[in-house]
Amino acid sequence: MGILRSIGQAAGHVEGPAKVTGRARYSADILLPGMLWGKTLRSPFPHARIVSIDLSAARELPGVHAVLTAADLPEVRIGRFLRDIPVLARDRVRFIGEKVVTVAAETPEAAEDALRLVEVEYEELPAVFDPLEAMRAEAPRLHEHPETYEHPPIPPIGGDSRFHPFANVCSQNFFRRGDLKLGFTAAERTFEHTFFVPPVHQGYIEPHACAAAIGADGKIDIWLSNKTPFIARNQLALAFGVAEDRVRVNPTAIGGDFGGKGSLMDSALCYFLARASGRPVKMVMTYTEELTAGNPRHAALVTLRTGVTRDGRITAHQAKLVFNCGAYGAFIPLHFVHGGVHAASGPYRVPHMEIEALRVYTNTVPRGHYRAPGAPQTTFAVESHMDMIARELGIDPLEFRLRNVLIDGDESPMGERWQHVRCRETLMAAAEAAAWGSPKPPNVGRGIGIYERATGAFGTSSATLTIDADSKLTLLTGAADTGTGSYTVLGQVVAEELQAPLSDVIVIQGDTDTAEWEDGAGGSRLTHMAGRATLTAAREVSSALIALAARRLGCAPDQVQMRDRRFIASDGRELDWDSLLSWAAEHEALPLTRSGSYVAGHPVEVTCYAAQVAEVEVDPETGQVRLRRIVTAHDVGTVINPLTHQGQIEGGLVQGIGQAMTEHLQVRDGAVTTAHLGDYKLPTAMDIPELSTVLVESKTGPGPFAGKAIGEMSNVPPPAAVANAVFDAVGVRLMDLPVTAEKVYAGLRAKENRQ
Amino acid sequence: MRNIQMQVNGKAVAREVPDQRLLVDFLRYDLGLTGTKEGCSVGVCGACTVLLDGQPVSSCIVLAVMAEGCEITTIEGLAEGDRLHPLQQAFIEYGGFQCGICTPGQIMASKALLDANPHPTREQIREWMMGNLCRCTGYYKIIESIQAAAEGKTGP
Repeated sequence: MGILRSIGQAAGHVEGPAKVTGRARYSADILLPGMLWGKTLRSPFPHARIVSIDLSAARELPGVHAVLTAADLPEVRIGRFLRDIPVLARDRVRFIGEKVVTVAAETPEAAEDALRLVEVEYEELPAVFDPLEAMRAEAPRLHEHPETYEHPPIPPIGGDSRFHPFANVCSQNFFRRGDLKLGFTAAERTFEHTFFVPPVHQGYIEPHACAAAIGADGKIDIWLSNKTPFIARNQLALAFGVAEDRVRVNPTAIGGDFGGKGSLMDSALCYFLARASGRPVKMVMTYTEELTAGNPRHAALVTLRTGVTRDGRITAHQAKLVFNCGAYGAFIPLHFVHGGVHAASGPYRVPHMEIEALRVYTNTVPRGHYRAPGAPQTTFAVESHMDMIARELGIDPLEFRLRNVLIDGDESPMGERWQHVRCRETLMAAAEAAAWGSPKPPNVGRGIGIYERATGAFGTSSATLTIDADSKLTLLTGAADTGTGSYTVLGQVVAEELQAPLSDVIVIQGDTDTAEWEDGAGGSRLTHMAGRATLTAAREVSSALIALAARRLGCAPDQVQMRDRRFIASDGRELDWDSLLSWAAEHEALPLTRSGSYVAGHPVEVTCYAAQVAEVEVDPETGQVRLRRIVTAHDVGTVINPLTHQGQIEGGLVQGIGQAMTEHLQVRDGAVTTAHLGDYKLPTAMDIPELSTVLVESKTGPGPFAGKAIGEMSNVPPPAAVANAVFDAVGVRLMDLPVTAEKVYAGLRAKENRQ
Repeated sequence: MRNIQMQVNGKAVAREVPDQRLLVDFLRYDLGLTGTKEGCSVGVCGACTVLLDGQPVSSCIVLAVMAEGCEITTIEGLAEGDRLHPLQQAFIEYGGFQCGICTPGQIMASKALLDANPHPTREQIREWMMGNLCRCTGYYKIIESIQAAAEGKTGP
């Protein structure tokens, strides 16, 4: 390995100049010659039969070029895995906000005017909004034949089929380990609690946008806010019924993703409008459409039952998770809310365990993925539950956790054999920085939350690296940078391996025709997987340069080393970088291109922990909670870029604080009532607490240069840490989120009445 | 339809626009200045912040006709050629953005702050920037970026 130069540098984003000057092009910025504007008419009913649609007046409006309903489209359903959502509603609508009619017109104003002229007659059907009610035998069924969908929810994965008769169960999973009955028999105390976590929105500031254009040769060009262009291309090809190479997904800047930008959203529809009108079409969702008909996080009802010994050792743990998936399951790339299931047992030593997870259809907005999908919901429940158990047993919450967290050699509840387990160290680091146990003023409390998640390892990543005669290194990747700094980090991997300044590296995101396959951002995989592919390509380039140097020096390649931008032969002769490149250029060896790919193989053996301590002050008169301080401690590997790494920690943390304290996508009778960003409360600069970050470093990660993932860690523990701190401060326990003054006030009054 | 004239980034522009055209759409689509972004469309997220006669406004709730005769500065008007404004430089160096969608608005709002108060305290920065939402950074690095620009701590 060369001298470390680039790894560990707090480099600003390589695409920074474009983003701070307004030159960066996002999907909504795409302007094409002759472009029309697409808009959609959405269902006002949560569940209804479409009786008739009258388009005549809309079609006659000047400037309108296409008006489409499901009757004009092929009979296809789309989705990231389960393909259950139609491009436009056919015969029936299943949530308020489902797309029914679409229009393309010369201006956005004309498109909206046309939609106002469309008349749709509906016949309302009985609707169901609560997942527990939706599972009852007499509940209205949302999907009559889910077994006919691609990747159908039936048969269930991993267990019995108790819920088969109820079509509203979209997926069910069981995880079992040990013998639950035995575990509860060994318990001296058993505790059961139920928690509710309402839906929240990803809150990216860029609403979904897309554009479609069809070339004279039939090539379909798509621009869309999507973090995984290759997967989007394949889904689009399926929707259009064409070969994958007919579709090209073009790179655009992405205005925030956080898991929410993995779906096609309007882009398939946009193509059908372009096809019908013969013109390029652009569609930009409004933020109200985002909040009411996007793909927010699943609400979850979490029931936990845990058996413990009197001295606080867990003997058995049972979790029942019910996720409300809304009207369609199409917005997640798996059959189940993976992170939620995984986090349902926490980072604890649990000999006997059972997790049952259900995802249930209701007549509400379809749910999708959001940063560490499922984990904030179940972690709020697990970490609150553990706190409650500790207090019931009279054990300090930190001490209770220390007695139960995994250590090296333990098998995790999900059966993993993690190496280099650093849960204890991370927890202790957080506690120490927070001065856990030190005296507190009245009405001030501290609470702990802890979360475990392994670095992502799935799919395939690719990279192509070219060095040219003037020493520029051009990295071609298919990976979109959703804002995390992945272009920069990949550039640093190249710079490190080639011992080049980062300013010599140019990172280009190719379109899906130009770049090689890349599974893209998601599941905390990108720095690991794309980083490893990039490192392979960079190593191939350095080997090729060494071979050239050997040719020039007249020796065998294995007798030449590249060090500090010089090529040194074993006999002491050397060649500097620039002379090699000019010689190579003269001999037509430049530009030189090499590729690398990285395919997920065996699972990663090292995981990551985040432990947080929140310190709150509660106003005993009003219930107002002020978050005074948060300590966030992270078990990390080699930090490739301290600036972007810390940016992930801080950004995630404040999202977690939002979920803990202000955010609640309110749904009443199937209608989202927090329908704009004035009502849906994202945290502002005034809402952030004093922050201390502690990094517990070890060079053990699976990523390039032993890095670990950081993107989906800090947002998970805050709800539990805050709720636990509120209890510590004033003795009020909240079983649902967010932690609002109203709920704390009610808890304080109830407590007074009991006394 | 109405004829309007204004100065945009120091250049005179004249266009005929529908009465109801919003300033954000006028800038983005009539003038092609897509550096100004639209987020919430209701004047709360700050992504569309531009300076109107030096004052920060949400261009998604201002009609283009209301800017008649005014001087508008957008993100495209900040750098001088390749030389970035100190705030632009600071946002890069101090990690004041990630995805960048709110960044033009953040930078325009913070320019208005520094124009009015060249040496703001951390609390004054937080309060002023409250109207500019960012979902990526958690604001810590935005505040640092503005402080660094105010203190001249940017550039090589």
